[in-house]
Amino acid sequence: MGMSAGGGAAVKAEPNVTPMIDVMLVLLIIFMIVVPAINAGFNAIPPEAQSVATHPEDDQNDQVLGIDSDGNYYLNKRPIAQDQLAAAVKGIFENREEHIMYVKAHKDLKYVKVIDAMDILAHNGVAVAALITEQKPGTESLVESDRVKAKAK
Amino acid sequence: MSMSAGDSNTGLTNEPNVTPMIDVLLVLLIIFMMVIPMSRKAIDTQLPDPTPRPAPPGPPPDQIVLEVLPNNQFALNKTPVQKDALFNRLKETYNGRPEKIIFIKGDTTVAYSDVIFAMDQARGAGVTIIGVPPKG
Repeated sequence: MGMSAGGGAAVKAEPNVTPMIDVMLVLLIIFMIVVPAINAGFNAIPPEAQSVATHPEDDQNDQVLGIDSDGNYYLNKRPIAQDQLAAAVKGIFENREEHIMYVKAHKDLKYVKVIDAMDILAHNGVAVAALITEQKPGTESLVESDRVKAKAK
Repeated sequence: MSMSAGDSNTGLTNEPNVTPMIDVLLVLLIIFMMVIPMSRKAIDTQLPDPTPRPAPPGPPPDQIVLEVLPNNQFALNKTPVQKDALFNRLKETYNGRPEKIIFIKGDTTVAYSDVIFAMDQARGAGVTIIGVPPKG
């Protein structure tokens, strides 16, 4: 690549941009694939908090109830009407051993929207609602066991 | 890159140029390192039992209920607490108390983030179990 058979006398002074373009193209393709997969259907910004526990993420097993900024419900990223939520949750948790459900609610929601959802969950087999939050930037949980888990991940 | 000043200038290098491939692989590696160990941060809350047993006779247990009221007001077992004093009050309450259980009751008009704030402060003050009282 750096050698040309034609003009043997002149040494090329331009930088070789081909590897850079390769890298950029790969990055571009990866982000094109990853970004819609992450944001598919449902988008909510969870509230920030300091003392939060770290949970391993297991997309196959975890059940996530999303509530977006308009108060719409999403069960595992698929939109669901409020009157169908109870039956859907019951169907999932009837034969499960783990009765934990993640609730990813938008930070500017009214609490009544979240408590409505938790009420539906409580009546349909969910025992623990894990409210998804973001770690406040630059802070660390005040609970020691959280810090140990956060480092171990 | 494929030209080296030290070598004898007669021979063309015959090996494939692996540098771009290594670049691409390194980028892939970095991206997968960032993507795979994803974990989420969450506050666990215990939901109410849908089939409550009748309350046991005798004096009510000395449970601690933190109410989240409108306008950034909080009340710990009915005693009003200011937002910035909440953490120290919780810490005093739970210091030396064996049951690290709290019930956080949010008013229907408050913002979700205020309730999360209360839960955050409670966990920071040593509470391990956060209960959500039944709606209504």
